[in-house]
Amino acid sequence: MSEPLNKPDLEDSINVAETHDRLVRQAAAAAREKSLGENGSQPIALWIFLPLAVVLLVAGLVLGAGSGYFSYGSTFREGYVRAKAPGEENSGPQPKPALAAYSAKGAKIFSAKCSGCHGSDAKGDGANYPALIGSEWVLGPTERFSMIVLNGLHGPTSTGKVFGAAGMPAQGGGMTPEDLAGILTYLRNNLGNSKGDVVTVDMAKAALDISGKRKSAGKQVDADELKAEHTKDLPGDKLDPATLVLPGNLAPAPAK
Amino acid sequence: MSQQTSNSPAQDALLRASIDRSLRHPVMFFFTSGAAWLAVSIVLGVIASAKVVSPNFLACSSWLNYGRVFPAHVNALVYGWGAQAAFGAIIWLMARLSRRACCAPGVILAAGHAWNLAVSLGVLGILSGHGTGMPWMEFPSFVWPALFLAYTAIVIWSLVQMRVRPGVSTYISQWFLAGATIWFPWVLLTAFALLHCLPGHPVMAAGINAWYKSALLLLFFAPVGMGTAYYLVPKVSGTPVQSYSLAKVGFWTLAVIAPWAGMQKLAGAPIPVWLPYVGAAATVLFALPAFAVAGNLLTTAFKAGSDTIAHSPTLRFTIAGLFGLVAFGLACVVLNLPESTLPLTQFTLSGYGFDLLGLYGFFTFVMFGAIYFIVPRVTLREWLSRRLITTHFILSVYGVGAIAFVALFGGLQQGIGQEQFSMPWENAADRAYPYAIATTIAWCFILFSNLFFFLHLTLMWLRLGRRSSHPTLLDGGHGGNPHGPEGDIDNAGPLHSH
Amino acid sequence: MTFRTFLLGLAASFGIAWLSVVVVPFLKMRDLQPIVLKEDVDGKDGIYFPKRSGRVANGATVYAQNGCYLCHTQVVRPTYAGNDLFRADWGGLKDAGDRGDTRRETNAYDFQGEKFAQIGVTRQGPDLSNIGLRVENAYAKNVSPEAWLYAHLYNPRADVTRAKSNCPPYRFLFEEKKVLGNRSREALPFESPAGTEIVPSAEAKALVSYLLSLKKDDAPPASLNFAPVKKK
Repeated sequence: MSEPLNKPDLEDSINVAETHDRLVRQAAAAAREKSLGENGSQPIALWIFLPLAVVLLVAGLVLGAGSGYFSYGSTFREGYVRAKAPGEENSGPQPKPALAAYSAKGAKIFSAKCSGCHGSDAKGDGANYPALIGSEWVLGPTERFSMIVLNGLHGPTSTGKVFGAAGMPAQGGGMTPEDLAGILTYLRNNLGNSKGDVVTVDMAKAALDISGKRKSAGKQVDADELKAEHTKDLPGDKLDPATLVLPGNLAPAPAK
Repeated sequence: MSQQTSNSPAQDALLRASIDRSLRHPVMFFFTSGAAWLAVSIVLGVIASAKVVSPNFLACSSWLNYGRVFPAHVNALVYGWGAQAAFGAIIWLMARLSRRACCAPGVILAAGHAWNLAVSLGVLGILSGHGTGMPWMEFPSFVWPALFLAYTAIVIWSLVQMRVRPGVSTYISQWFLAGATIWFPWVLLTAFALLHCLPGHPVMAAGINAWYKSALLLLFFAPVGMGTAYYLVPKVSGTPVQSYSLAKVGFWTLAVIAPWAGMQKLAGAPIPVWLPYVGAAATVLFALPAFAVAGNLLTTAFKAGSDTIAHSPTLRFTIAGLFGLVAFGLACVVLNLPESTLPLTQFTLSGYGFDLLGLYGFFTFVMFGAIYFIVPRVTLREWLSRRLITTHFILSVYGVGAIAFVALFGGLQQGIGQEQFSMPWENAADRAYPYAIATTIAWCFILFSNLFFFLHLTLMWLRLGRRSSHPTLLDGGHGGNPHGPEGDIDNAGPLHSH
Repeated sequence: MTFRTFLLGLAASFGIAWLSVVVVPFLKMRDLQPIVLKEDVDGKDGIYFPKRSGRVANGATVYAQNGCYLCHTQVVRPTYAGNDLFRADWGGLKDAGDRGDTRRETNAYDFQGEKFAQIGVTRQGPDLSNIGLRVENAYAKNVSPEAWLYAHLYNPRADVTRAKSNCPPYRFLFEEKKVLGNRSREALPFESPAGTEIVPSAEAKALVSYLLSLKKDDAPPASLNFAPVKKK
């Protein structure tokens, strides 16, 4: 080591040459660092302001597109109504000819309530359940037919045969006029029957009314009552089977 | 900030060097294990991208299923690489700026190991099929408390250092870094409590998850990157920050704006209707601090002259990162317009590209700059090979640029296809296909670049770097000779043999 | 700026946003009350509570663990936020027979039984809000809906209409079992080594049950019904 140089402003422990050695060995990287100088106080350059202003503008537009700030009540925009798809027509249920629409509804009722006994082909089994295909009571006046469906039947059928002591249970419970109209129309026009007419919802409403006003309301009908009191068609305007209706509620489709 | 010290420059250098040496174990650990996780994450990313192109690739294994590999890739990138690089930068920068040596490097190192263990268990948990299904939070729930505790043990010392620092003046980097260290646990605890502990509404849970992801990007990685850049650029270039008031404005706009961002990911979902709009607006407004920081530092750097920039690896990477920040800010504005681009890009590759632009295009590049600066100071060795650094730089820039462009532009294309409701779905998928191929290729480039980097860093960690007092400079620094004009000054000294 | 000023400023700037955007909505939404239906307004009485059949919780876990949310979404956005409702079968069915057009937006009651709504990250594949409806009505023509979904999970590209699908194969959700006597009803129609058949594991069954429960086209109450009013 070289002799310590006497420098008044250095601490005794600092030996210049030794320091230089240590610096080079241990702190070379730190020694050559520049210091973080005085911070610049240049004014903010003008060209920076332009993009900042554009950003502020865009953010303002974004905020403007929203609404209902700080109200946590609604998860949808105020006054939102679904827009129509551009170029698309009214996408409601497609209207169908009345016969098809009523039959479609009736088909569901049939498989739920009727086919279990009368068979999925509505031909019965010859001993316990009568055939509905070709049946006089099915294809005849609609009031008679509706009374059977709503209230059930006791005793002989149109062919005179008795199918089971208990007869047919009532099926009218919980049946809406649309359901009734559907099942009546379905059975008269499908699976081999082809009467060609539609039992409308209004007619079905009348049927429910008549059924409720029966003298023996709540009990099954029998052949005598049917012959005596229910020999007509249900009251109501006839509907051309080709008329377009909406499948859901069987209402006439709005004119285009 | 002028050096407020009564030390002579020599003593000051020795003080700084002793601060560096006190932190050598934790810092090198974070950087090296971070780089290892980066390589792992990119391998997983290559596999995931390849599976988008060719779904039957490696279909044999349940662990490599796309739905597991992709979250593993993202989580390894965020918690394995991103967080650890951030920790290394935070503890070193805070110590230097507070001019105090680290008092508990052993604790930090142990906590770092704990963090690594937790992340490893988490990634293995995802790959084995125990992920939680929450984007960026797929680690099984037992991992989160471990991460939180390890995190506290790592950064509490830095906050203490800042609190007890001598002198009153503070440099802008300290505000950014202190902010990041406080925001991160607040955000993490919120997400953990509201998503894993307390029962809540399922859609709002998805919203909070989206907020968490945005908060990690904008309130942890972004400020750490910004704070580091504010240190590195003036330090290496020797020019002071162009406008210090703009720097402070940049910090406070970040603090006020960024916490509102994130919910725009859930636009159209049944959450309170204004939340996505506020999120979109806040993300757009993030461009304000982004442009402010980038503009401030780029003007500072260019004042130093293109020579300095070309020669310094640190400056090169940091400036590339700042350009990445500009691109990220631009993406923030362009991708989040609710009436036009947001419905298009909401469910496309754009989200991935956006995340990568912030995480890799900005944050990772600045971290590379920091690593190239810090490691020689901490290990007393200089980088071994100019070529390795240059290769790392070029391949990374190309790769990330390609990914950003592909994912942003490709995402728009994909989104346009998705919104064409009268076309069959295959249309939208077809539009994205070429971008999936390009992404895979870009990740391969990045993988190579990072293998070089990891190799280089490991050699430094093993103390096999150059013993020299002259830094390794690129592009003909020191007149083409890395040993400097006087020849190499062996910093181990003529009598030393370690 | 002192450290204390800094902390106060940070707490204020972060805290206000945190409360407004995270905490308050979280608390309000977890107290979401079911909507009471009234006859004259909504068409029936009762409570609006879309029921979901199937193993929702188990299936949702398998969905999350295997990353389905990365490529599939489960949100039908209102028309001001996207074109999802204009597709014929995403929000419901454009022509669901009797009920007509059942398409609707996702509402806050749609994720009952799940802890985390898998809104989704990207749409590589189509939205799954009504996948149950689509499989039953459109995809599974000659097979049961479960069988169609098992086949799709095992090899998404086996179906010729899906030749370009990017969906990864989830073979690990299935097991090879020895054929004992007759082939089991759940066996998949794919090749396997002689004497074995491919059957779904419990996880596959849970996932498929969850997917088939995804039918979000029930009639919403009047307050959530945004259909344009029809002019009669």
